Amino acid sequence: MITQYHRPLTLDDAIALIARPDAVVLAGGTTINAAPDRAASTAVDLQDLDLAGIDVEGGGVRIGATTRLQDLVDSALIPTVLRDLARREAPSTIRTMATVGGTIGTADPESELLAGLLAFGARVTLARAGSPTEHSLDDILADAGLLNGSIITAVTILTSGRAAADRVGRTPMDRPIVMAVAHSDGATARLAMTGVASVPLVVDPDHIGDLDPPPDFRGTAAYRAGLAEVLATRVLAAVEGGASA
Amino acid sequence: MTITLTINGTKTGLDCQPRDSLRTVLRKAGYKSVRFGSETGETGAAAVLVDGRLITADLMLAAQADGHEVETVEGLSSPGNLHPIQEAFIETGAIQSGYSTPAMILAAKALIARNPNPTEDDVRDALSGILDRETGYLRPVHAVLRAAAVMRGEAPESVDVVFLEPLTDVDRPEAPEADLPAIAPRVVPSSDVPETRVVGKGETKVDAIKLVKGNPAFTDDVDLSGTLVAKVLYSPHANARIVDIDDAAALALPGVHAVLHHGNVARVRYASGGQSYPNPLPYDQVSFDNRVRYVGDRVAAVAADTEEIALAAIDLINVTYEVLPAVFDENEAILDGAPVIHDEPDMEGAHDASHNLVHHIEAETGDVADGFAIADRVFEQTMRVHQVQQTPIEPHIAISAWDSDERLVITSSTQVPFHVRRMVAPLLGLPVKQIRIIKPRIGGGFGVKQEMLIEDIVGHLTIATGRPVRLELTREEEFMSSRTRHPQTITFKTGVDAGGMLTAQEMRVVANTGAYGTHGLTVQMVTGLRGLSSFNSPLKRFDCKVAYTNIPVPGAYRGYGAPQALYALEVHMEDIADELGMDAIDFRRLNWTKVGDPLDIAPQLGEGDQDASVMPMVTSCGLEEAVAQGQRAIDWDRRNDPEWRQPSDKPNIRRGLGFAMAMHGTAIPGLDMGGASLKINDDGSFNLLVGATDLGTGSDTVLAQIAAEVVGVGTDDIIVYSSDTDMTPFDVGAYASSTTYISGMATKRAAELVRTQIVARAALMLDVDADSIDLYDGAAWSADGQSVTLEKIALSTLHQEGQHQIMADASYVSPESPPPYAAQFAEVEVDIETGQVTVNRLVMAVDCGVPINPVTAAGQVEGGMIQALGYGHCEEMVYDGDGRMVNPEFGPYKIYRADEMPDVEAILVQTMEPSGPFGAKAIAEIPKDAVAPAMRNAIANATGVRIADIPFTPERVWRALQDA
Repeated sequence: MITQYHRPLTLDDAIALIARPDAVVLAGGTTINAAPDRAASTAVDLQDLDLAGIDVEGGGVRIGATTRLQDLVDSALIPTVLRDLARREAPSTIRTMATVGGTIGTADPESELLAGLLAFGARVTLARAGSPTEHSLDDILADAGLLNGSIITAVTILTSGRAAADRVGRTPMDRPIVMAVAHSDGATARLAMTGVASVPLVVDPDHIGDLDPPPDFRGTAAYRAGLAEVLATRVLAAVEGGASA
Repeated sequence: MTITLTINGTKTGLDCQPRDSLRTVLRKAGYKSVRFGSETGETGAAAVLVDGRLITADLMLAAQADGHEVETVEGLSSPGNLHPIQEAFIETGAIQSGYSTPAMILAAKALIARNPNPTEDDVRDALSGILDRETGYLRPVHAVLRAAAVMRGEAPESVDVVFLEPLTDVDRPEAPEADLPAIAPRVVPSSDVPETRVVGKGETKVDAIKLVKGNPAFTDDVDLSGTLVAKVLYSPHANARIVDIDDAAALALPGVHAVLHHGNVARVRYASGGQSYPNPLPYDQVSFDNRVRYVGDRVAAVAADTEEIALAAIDLINVTYEVLPAVFDENEAILDGAPVIHDEPDMEGAHDASHNLVHHIEAETGDVADGFAIADRVFEQTMRVHQVQQTPIEPHIAISAWDSDERLVITSSTQVPFHVRRMVAPLLGLPVKQIRIIKPRIGGGFGVKQEMLIEDIVGHLTIATGRPVRLELTREEEFMSSRTRHPQTITFKTGVDAGGMLTAQEMRVVANTGAYGTHGLTVQMVTGLRGLSSFNSPLKRFDCKVAYTNIPVPGAYRGYGAPQALYALEVHMEDIADELGMDAIDFRRLNWTKVGDPLDIAPQLGEGDQDASVMPMVTSCGLEEAVAQGQRAIDWDRRNDPEWRQPSDKPNIRRGLGFAMAMHGTAIPGLDMGGASLKINDDGSFNLLVGATDLGTGSDTVLAQIAAEVVGVGTDDIIVYSSDTDMTPFDVGAYASSTTYISGMATKRAAELVRTQIVARAALMLDVDADSIDLYDGAAWSADGQSVTLEKIALSTLHQEGQHQIMADASYVSPESPPPYAAQFAEVEVDIETGQVTVNRLVMAVDCGVPINPVTAAGQVEGGMIQALGYGHCEEMVYDGDGRMVNPEFGPYKIYRADEMPDVEAILVQTMEPSGPFGAKAIAEIPKDAVAPAMRNAIANATGVRIADIPFTPERVWRALQDA
């Protein structure tokens, strides 16, 4: 339960605040406020730190960490497939609050947007006491400890190439049971999936059989493994066959 | 802390806690349109605009909104006028309960501001965060499109009723009509239906203004000072004895006013199902027991100053359990050696509690063995239908308080205020006359509120504390601790002669009524009634065992045993047709009931007081027309088109069309009763008092239309007040699809008595014979061309001469239950590599007699079909090995959103039902009855695979495809 609320005006102030043992980083708040912990905590609201925005940078775009998912949906600078994944990530009332940084920090195992960012080779900038650091999104999802004491400030992705996504769910807009997204720069394709591991992850198409999907009532391990094969084949064929980003 | 919000243009300083959500702060500041749907934010009932963006206020801290602009629907218009978006919602019939209407209106406002010309997809995306369990989203989507058009200065699409040409009994049916306006109610008229002025029109709902403005109207919208917050401690075990409850620490917590449990509350037996006196047995519940029988069962309740303190007190109650083995499957529960769930010595009325057998229902019209013996072929199939939850967006909520006369007043989101009053009295130790139950507006019912579920808790706590007490279930509690559909294992056995006629039909059921009996007898009686009434069979037999298990409790849910029965029956009949090489509809047509056929199993499975010497008969049936209309609407011929079913450009896709037929009841004959009272006012308007319960279904409006038709005014001259046990006549409440037919007939009769009084005074004033007078347009008209207004008649009778109050009351109970009929069609697409099923289109053509209000009637069908779609497609309550529900949350428990909907179409086929008010039959439940089997039959058409059990989730379908 949030017992103290701060809205720091500088990144340094924010970093100092999150050093407190009971601090929670408040981006959109859609995750924290949906499942309030009974333990006392101090909320550090990032809204005044000017961390939002989508800018062209190099061969791709730089997405500020507090950029809302709806802004991704609305931006012509974001590849079409990612815009669609951002739309699917949350409904209309939540994607106007949820942020890209928050999505990374939450690391929902069924997050289609994270899988999409992985496929697009996302790199994440972290601000901390001392110099900022940069990591692949893969590394951050593999080791949540990297986020300790830091604030995500930006995500960068490449925007050229082709991408395609496909999924299986109970209904068209259900959180997918398994989802696959592929991105190709023409030479190599990167495949990422949800629903086959405890986090969204990049998958080697030749080693899909090695996956050990965690089962739940929507899909047994065997079914998920089967879906992984089918969906991976479809999206890889689509990016090789000419689907645009 | 202090924050500043600019709310609807006014800068406002507010005190709050850091943890307070924006919703909490807005409601405390008086903005009651911002509502509770779930603690995890998916329902969107709390949606507001912050800096012009649509957000859900239950997921934003008030502190985050500090310094920002907030808009709620209260800011959209002032008294006496409406914003164009509000007008569009009213005109399109997009408002049912209205609970989430403010959120939808704000979503529309935000969308139109950034995109003045949105597509339908844009609108569906904008509404994607607002869950609706009632409308199927069709009318809300078109309301937004309409508002956008009007705000662009364009003329909107017509929403007037469209009359379709009948397709049966005509020499040459009309060609398919061109694109009809999407939400114009489609009515196929019957030539024997008389002309009416108000009845049969899509009149504006009488509660539209308060709902579209978000005016305080729901239980939680009234603040009584000094109200305590109640919380309930629920069982973590599926089956256990409570050995000890230590409440000392909880009581010692400052701010705690009472802690109640079996140790300090009288042990009075009851059954919680909201039904007429005497409630069906068993009486297997007490307010607080020393035993728990499912994960989510009641253990104790507290009342405290704040929610935080109440929750802390719950945590401090120390309970010692003796955990017992549990059983969850209905077939296992009735075997020797299964854990006995009700072993208390003071329980009354189970058939054989030692075998968890609550009821054994048997009914037959002769010996089916004879029929099987002479049959050419005999078919037998077993299916299982599963457990789903009702999920009204407004959860259960009740507030109790002593009034100044020291009578206990309980305001509750209930479907059955009169039953609640009668049922709660002995539990609280108060006489009925000392209790008043008020039903305000409610945010969806569906049957989950046809129950005395929490009123005893708040009553006990008010008696213990002397204070007003409020209890609102969380969404998790609404999933686990309210009432669900009954799961059943159903076996049909049918004998068919060489010509395809039924020789005998037997239905055997093992039903799962969970931890308590509640509606366990009557739901299953309806299962037998509906399972064996659609088709004529000389011999019929129903054998049903109803079992206790340790699952959360099934109760009354829209359809009430019929969706289960008709799933099994319509799958069974489809498969028999296929085996016989007959067309699916032709085979049914050979056997289905028609006007003049007897409803021969009904006398044995009816609940009410019926004359055993009178065989009920079918007196109106529009099924042939419904089938023809539905076939045309869905383009039924595609079913036999191999290119359409297996598209060459999509090798992994198969498409199919499916059909299922439904027949339902209209109220419970000899049992359901409603009363109405009508009086005239000085200006020629009327107050109509009815016990009938409007859940958002529009019954207040329908009853107003009936009264208005008889006395010759418009609905705006009928002021309806309903569902208050002190102020309105009795009514059983909203269930069994009874309100239009029963309460409507009571209203019609009261209005006819009032009409007689009006006409008598008009005759005097005009000096003519009474029988030359007609009432319409707010006046009395004589055949010789004179007229006098109702206002003048009212003033004359109230003040001037032979003074009396023109008023009358009437009650009605019916000896009959004329069945509505429906033809349900579904179009599906199956991905044979993954098992994913996509439903593209649903069409239901329904004979509900004469729809009194075609807009609200269409809304019942559109919304009911989508709820039924969830039953067949994607909803299921899932448990771990210890009986704990693993998905008590929207999302994991999947209900349909606005942005993933199939096309839905309702077609209303008129028949003139002689026993119904102005020809009406029921419509409220039949839309639940046939979507699941129509889907299943469509999947069979698409893939050749006949799946036995619902729901058609991807892995189940995939495995069925693999096994085929």
